[in-house]
Amino acid sequence: MGSARSLVVPLAAAGQQESHQVGGKARTLGRLIGAGFRVPKGFCITVDAYERFIAASDLAATIQMELGRKPLAEMRWEEIWDAALRIRSAFLAAPLPADIAGPIVAAYRALGAGSLAVRSSAPGEDGAEQSHAGLHESLVGVEGEQGLLDAVRIVWASLWSDAALLYRKELGMDVSRSRMAVVVQDFVPANVSGVGFGIDPRRPSEDRAMVEAVPGFCEDLVSGAVDPDRWIMKRSTGEIVEWSPGTRESGTASPLLEREDLDVLHRALRSVEELLGCPPDVEWTDRAANLTLLQARPVTGVTVEGDDERAWYLSLRPNQGRLDALCTRVTEELIPELEAEGQRFAATDLTTLDDDALADAIDERRESLARWKTIYRDEFIPFAHGVRRLGMYYNDAVRPDDPYEFTVILGNQPMIASERNAALERLAGSLREDPQLIRGLEGLADSGRIRDRAGWRQEMDALPASPAAEAFKPAFEAFLDHYMNIAFDDQALDDRPDLTLGVVMELARGGERKMAEAGGADPAALERRLLEAVGPDRREEAVNVIRIGRLSWQLRDDDNILMGRLENQLQHALHLAAERLVEAGRLEGDARFGTGAAGPLAAALRDRAGGRVQLPLLEAPACHGTALPPGSTPRQMIGQPAAPGLATGPVRIVRDAEDFTRFRRGEVMVCDAIQPSVTHLVPLACAIIERRGGMLIHGAIIARELGLPCVNGVANAADLLKNGDLVTVDGHLGIVTVGPPEFDLERGQTANPSARE
Amino acid sequence: MPIEDEPVLGRTVDSDDTAARPLVERIRQLVTGQPFGVLCTHGENLAYGSLVAFAFTGDLRYAVFATPVATRKYRLLSEHQEVALVVDDRPRHQNDMMKVEAVTATGRAEEIRGAPEMDDPVQLLLARHPQLKNFLDARSSALFRIRIARFLHVSRFQEVNQWVPQDPS
Repeated sequence: MGSARSLVVPLAAAGQQESHQVGGKARTLGRLIGAGFRVPKGFCITVDAYERFIAASDLAATIQMELGRKPLAEMRWEEIWDAALRIRSAFLAAPLPADIAGPIVAAYRALGAGSLAVRSSAPGEDGAEQSHAGLHESLVGVEGEQGLLDAVRIVWASLWSDAALLYRKELGMDVSRSRMAVVVQDFVPANVSGVGFGIDPRRPSEDRAMVEAVPGFCEDLVSGAVDPDRWIMKRSTGEIVEWSPGTRESGTASPLLEREDLDVLHRALRSVEELLGCPPDVEWTDRAANLTLLQARPVTGVTVEGDDERAWYLSLRPNQGRLDALCTRVTEELIPELEAEGQRFAATDLTTLDDDALADAIDERRESLARWKTIYRDEFIPFAHGVRRLGMYYNDAVRPDDPYEFTVILGNQPMIASERNAALERLAGSLREDPQLIRGLEGLADSGRIRDRAGWRQEMDALPASPAAEAFKPAFEAFLDHYMNIAFDDQALDDRPDLTLGVVMELARGGERKMAEAGGADPAALERRLLEAVGPDRREEAVNVIRIGRLSWQLRDDDNILMGRLENQLQHALHLAAERLVEAGRLEGDARFGTGAAGPLAAALRDRAGGRVQLPLLEAPACHGTALPPGSTPRQMIGQPAAPGLATGPVRIVRDAEDFTRFRRGEVMVCDAIQPSVTHLVPLACAIIERRGGMLIHGAIIARELGLPCVNGVANAADLLKNGDLVTVDGHLGIVTVGPPEFDLERGQTANPSARE
Repeated sequence: MPIEDEPVLGRTVDSDDTAARPLVERIRQLVTGQPFGVLCTHGENLAYGSLVAFAFTGDLRYAVFATPVATRKYRLLSEHQEVALVVDDRPRHQNDMMKVEAVTATGRAEEIRGAPEMDDPVQLLLARHPQLKNFLDARSSALFRIRIARFLHVSRFQEVNQWVPQDPS
């Protein structure tokens, strides 16, 4: 390894360099230049510069810590995204030593110091066997020396992007071996750009080539933000076989390319194929005689868009154009529609329906829930990425020490879950003011007498009359109607006063909960900081990123609760159906069932002559992660430091709705994942441990809001811990320590008498 | 609550992670793979540590090591049996802290004197460290056996699991 190797080589010379030195993209561009194609001028920053930067900044240790925290196969995509974000922030924060920055800046000046495109060129990236298109970052419109140096670090960091980490096995990623070169070129603005394929990748055995074009930049096509015009032509002759126009906001427009443009593109594809020795996949810009090639690689049979969930995840990556469109649809159409659907179901008095009509209601509710689950996946989850988009945007502009500082901007949002917790606290407060009422309600939640509304009313009527009792009864029922009209663990929570009363009583027994100090961070101040950092030219863009980030943050919780209301309404119908079937002697009185029983229950209602009803068994809860073998016990578990703080308390595992009433103030809440339907328990907890990981998930959000330590992403937490285990939750470091330090086993060992004489 | 949440990605990706192995196997591999460990002793209100060559029995209930008698550690061991033996694989992962594994084995160290009790521990140690034959034969060497109370296994920098060797009786 010669130390004298160049950190920067002209793009025209990159064709003679080894791919492992300049990466596949730079090498191919160099060869295209050599063959006389028009390619934007530029230079390549070799992998040696990346290596030197990593060595000088000690970033390898940062990457290793992020990727070594737990088996990557057990990380959810939220955790992978978090790891990638922290790595990216560390890259941006690491200074670029002068001996690396110097040659880059010199090459930039020699290029003419205009607007730039800065693209990844990872060794092996554009090989014929696999394409890694879209896994690493490319930036266009980069301005100025500092802008270039920042862009280079962002591209380097994208070697460890969330998308790349998902494909780490295919990419053979290894902290000690993976490297990245960077292509820096003049940014060529054009009114039309696109891609071209020497063979149609979908029908590679046929005589077909394909060209796609979009108005403006190629990035909009590659990112999927703009729907392209598409031509299929004969590979052999260039004859046009098919044209399909892209969808434009202005309606159907005329084709973006003329016949002459397509002829030039066809000839270029053939020439590039001769050069590379295989059919190429080319990105291009501008038309006819000005056709300029931005990159070329072999068409790959299998692209990263495989058939697993990873392809779906990649489709979620935040893109402002897509987020803008989703924002309008989600906030203006879908959320109001979802809310109205829940209200419409709630307004139906099911008890007035005959069996056939009740069966119809079950079917309607089941179908509605299924439809909304599809919408949730296809539109709500992608929209939730608005918050991630804000995070990246904020971090790039502000460079905070804490890569999650941006979450402060999201504070004080009106969320249903926060409103509910405030209402719950008011109920507890009203009990605290009347000790006699508390005594009257003592033990009621666990008595088994208020497991339905009728029982609740009966018990309340039997209480000694007092103004406080008179006020509490309707307030409590209004709380159930308004906030607990959701489902958890196949229970319609508003049908179970005992589950909520237990929580209210437990809250009332302690003092009022102090909300977390904001820590001096003020959402408005951070917003100003972001706007100042981006400057007046990008102010409008930044305001929009903040607006969408806030809305997506708010809806992240609210959409779940609104979905829970639909499920709650399905549960109401199912329970009524079950009651009727029990009365008819066709169903066991203690039968437990989930929403999976909707079909059989509806069918049984319609089939009056039918016999006993068999319901599908409830699914056993899933076990996640690696279980410890017998005889092993966890002493210290690691996860993500999702909310800061340090607290010790006994474990309370929340698996089902019955656990609500067992929860005592000061316990550590342990669960698989805190759903918005159980966040009302959190104010009782002294700390939170979750199996599901992520800095931006519900549990982490509410823990930070309440100032509770939270460690999440702890593999198998609910299976490895037991109720009552004493644990210390370190939300600063992401560590859960099990049990007090003790030497019982060592003390219990009796010395072998033969050991001493 | 069956509301569909984001799918768990990565589950489709095979893990080559060593964490999939049972804890006891990871401990066994570590203590049989590493010839030396740090023996922690105490006495006179002070802590002390020394590097020792060791060997474990197959059931991991005992470890053996030897020491010259004219040493600080021998004197401390004569007074206090409570010890810890720390074994780690740093040499295998010098550049990646997250891959380093370590065990702290705690227990009581007993000096073994005279046959027939002497044979097995000597053979155990010699099988692992044949170069120590002369050292073990020397009249000034003492052989110790640690009866293990528990292993605390550390991986990924902070993940700690305990394993207690089972008494076959």
